[in-house]
Amino acid sequence: MSEANIDANAGSVAPTPPPPPTPAATPASREPDHFRRVLTIWVVLSVIGMVACIFLLPYILPPTASNLGSVDNFTIVLLTVLAIPVALFVFVFLAYSMFAFRVRERPREDALPLKPRPMLQVGFLGITSVLCLFLIIYGLVAYYQEASAAPANPLVVQVTGQQWTWTFYYPQYGVSSQGQVLELPVNRAVQFVVTSKDVLHGFAVRTLGVRVDANPGQVTTTPYTTPTAIGQYPVVCVELCGLYHSYMWSSLKVVDQSTFNSWITSQGGHP
Amino acid sequence: MSETTTTNEAAVIVPRHYTLRQLLFPSVVSGVVLGVVGAVVVYFIVRALQPDNYDAQVVFAYTGWTLFFFAGIGAFNGIWRWGFARHDDTLEEALDLAGKDQGLWRYFRYTTDHKVVGMQYLATVLVLFFVGSMGAFSIRLEQSVPGAIFFTPSTYNTIVGMHGILMIVASIVMVSGPFGNFVLPIMIGARDMAFPRLNALSYWLLFAAIPVFLSTLFLGGFPTGWTGYAPLAVQGLTPGMDAYCFTIILFAISTTVAALNIITTVLVLRTKGMTLARLPIFVWGVMLSVFLGLTAFPSFLISQVMVLTDRVFHTSFFIAANGGSNWLYEHLFWFMGHPEVYVIALPAMAVAAELSAVFSRKTVFGRRMLLGSLITICILSVLVWGHHLYTSGSNTALDAPYMLDTELISIPTGFFFLALVGTLWRGRIWITVPLLFVAGMLVNFVVGGITGIYLADLPTDEILHGGMFVTAHFHFTLVGSMVFGAFAGFYYWFPKMLGRRLNPRLGALHFWLFEIGFLGTFLSLFYAGLQGEPRWSANVSPLYATANLIASLFAILIAVSVFVAVYNVIISLARGEVATADEWGARTLEWTVPTPVPLENFATLPEVKGTAYEYGLSEPVDKGFGLHEPATPDTMDAPSPQAQS
Repeated sequence: MSEANIDANAGSVAPTPPPPPTPAATPASREPDHFRRVLTIWVVLSVIGMVACIFLLPYILPPTASNLGSVDNFTIVLLTVLAIPVALFVFVFLAYSMFAFRVRERPREDALPLKPRPMLQVGFLGITSVLCLFLIIYGLVAYYQEASAAPANPLVVQVTGQQWTWTFYYPQYGVSSQGQVLELPVNRAVQFVVTSKDVLHGFAVRTLGVRVDANPGQVTTTPYTTPTAIGQYPVVCVELCGLYHSYMWSSLKVVDQSTFNSWITSQGGHP
Repeated sequence: MSETTTTNEAAVIVPRHYTLRQLLFPSVVSGVVLGVVGAVVVYFIVRALQPDNYDAQVVFAYTGWTLFFFAGIGAFNGIWRWGFARHDDTLEEALDLAGKDQGLWRYFRYTTDHKVVGMQYLATVLVLFFVGSMGAFSIRLEQSVPGAIFFTPSTYNTIVGMHGILMIVASIVMVSGPFGNFVLPIMIGARDMAFPRLNALSYWLLFAAIPVFLSTLFLGGFPTGWTGYAPLAVQGLTPGMDAYCFTIILFAISTTVAALNIITTVLVLRTKGMTLARLPIFVWGVMLSVFLGLTAFPSFLISQVMVLTDRVFHTSFFIAANGGSNWLYEHLFWFMGHPEVYVIALPAMAVAAELSAVFSRKTVFGRRMLLGSLITICILSVLVWGHHLYTSGSNTALDAPYMLDTELISIPTGFFFLALVGTLWRGRIWITVPLLFVAGMLVNFVVGGITGIYLADLPTDEILHGGMFVTAHFHFTLVGSMVFGAFAGFYYWFPKMLGRRLNPRLGALHFWLFEIGFLGTFLSLFYAGLQGEPRWSANVSPLYATANLIASLFAILIAVSVFVAVYNVIISLARGEVATADEWGARTLEWTVPTPVPLENFATLPEVKGTAYEYGLSEPVDKGFGLHEPATPDTMDAPSPQAQS
């Protein structure tokens, strides 16, 4: 969009070319160099925004309690940092135009026509394509790393949704959780095997980075995730499943291995 | 200004005088009366035959309503005349059908004039927006505090679903309906649409769907939200779900009919010199949008027919126990559901492009680049629906291609922004209410577009899917971007359509309240979504209470803005300044015809000699801008071919 990138069509006032303008030569040079100005504002705000993002976002994002959750949070920070200059590009140019080029009343003359040079279009295409490709490749790599991990001695939990509760069954111990609690040992990989008895449900544990639909008649397995922090977290349903959808809450308790073993025993299993 | 000749029409045709019977039949009054009678009769017949199948009773009653409503409003009269080969329409009958000399009553009849249909769409869209926004405020009320306080979960789910589908339907037609029908034919230099009767049919199908939809309130509501996911939709114990399905069927037929009509009109009825390359961007946007709708809506229609057969005839398309699959529904639904977003987006984006050129008095920055980006978006958008199924557990092998397609859309969208920002750059920016809405749209669309990346990217989607983040994202794109774009068009074309100016101060107040309230509400919901709040929560968890309360408080500003807009419309209709023919100094053809626009739009059809955006290139702004001159003689004394359909 710089003057350098624009063919000024034969018109009244030719804009000054961007190489050092001879002072006070043409009428246009009395005007401030809008393009340089707006570019400076954009760069400064982008840098501030990106730095602020890196430092502030971790306070906004919820704490994670698993390796998957950490990857997910990192991805959010990365995407936001990349998004800042893109968004500011539009915001800054738009706001600058609205303020700097506004006229008080209905304009009586037309503005100078500008059209993009091919190099601007190709350059824009190149930059957006590179950004886009990066996002795709990054996303796929991150996702397949998650999906293909094969840790040793994983815990398997069968999750069954029904209107409007979750049931958690631990096949390795032959025991179901009594009550609405999903209890997991810390630092041991876990895989969920999810299904539904009636309609579609969505099994979601934000802090574990796990979210998958519970389909009637189908069994879906999630990627392995390893809880890393002891604590209590919500388990929710994220597919509208009827009347009490928003009451379909359970809680996840991440505990140490010995507490987990005694809990299994207390539920009637044998660790 | 070209001379405003409507006089020679009156010279040829003597105005008719109507008896009360002629006024009432056919009209919407006779349509509704006959429709209700038909529905009741059919209901009792089916109840006698199938006393236990409530769904069958309800669905057949809706069918009876629809058929008898159209008989009552006179939709079959023309078919009747031709089918029994009595005679073709005389000119008088054609003009009568087009609403000549019927005053306001023409808006309540099966009128074929495209301007009447456009106004009917406009009024309907505004009413739907109003009712839908009341649903939105009810939702914000319920979510302002933890726990289900104000509504029962059942009522809440129905409100969410009704808000969703009302707004989706309204925003699908919000640009193509009012402006696509009223403005588009004038923009291309036509006297009417290609198929005026189909045009009336498309509107009245939408109208017929509204009572069907509202009847869900008396039938127990529906639990599925606007997506109507099966098997929950099949399980639904109340017949309220049938209302949803039947509404979608009627609406899908309506949009299909409208789409065929608009495409044919643009391809066939362009005036001399209006080549496809010279078509205004708005016309391109609407045409791409309805073309996309024509591709997408049949699968929505089919999905609802299948849900209805599951409910009424107990088939099992979606019941896993009998071999059906919920993934089938999800694919059918989202094959419509994602292109549908662009059905809404493309015309609103085109409005924004059109207006930014007008209000910066500057040619569009890269018009072909912009058109290319709109066409690319249109094509890519039919290939991305699978990203709604990332977490469904069904299609891991296709995740990567869907992700690729989805993120590729950001490239043409980037060019759209480049074109608009470039158009405003160094323009003579005349800040009017329409331009404010365009600016607001650009700001919100950036946020909506960028947050879309989070949902397109697999690692982040797996924590955000089905959550409040999604809700906030699509409200930023659909409301913040597309509804803002539609309001830009509303403030821009209102003086042409209704002949009155809207108060610009109230318009600006509407904009600022809406924009600030909107940003506050949905940025808070982004925050709630990042924390992991699920969607569709009657019972908000205390974990997310603060963000939801802030969102609800900001929603009050949006509510005020709605009433400011309503007030503005009412006072401007009552005692607004009379608008001139050329309100803004734009160069598209609709501003060259008088306001109010005469029945056949042009006294003489114009000849076009360039695009409408040659600001600073051709002569200074001039009403005729030298682009048209008498090309065809006035055809009023022969029946115009369009008036016959």
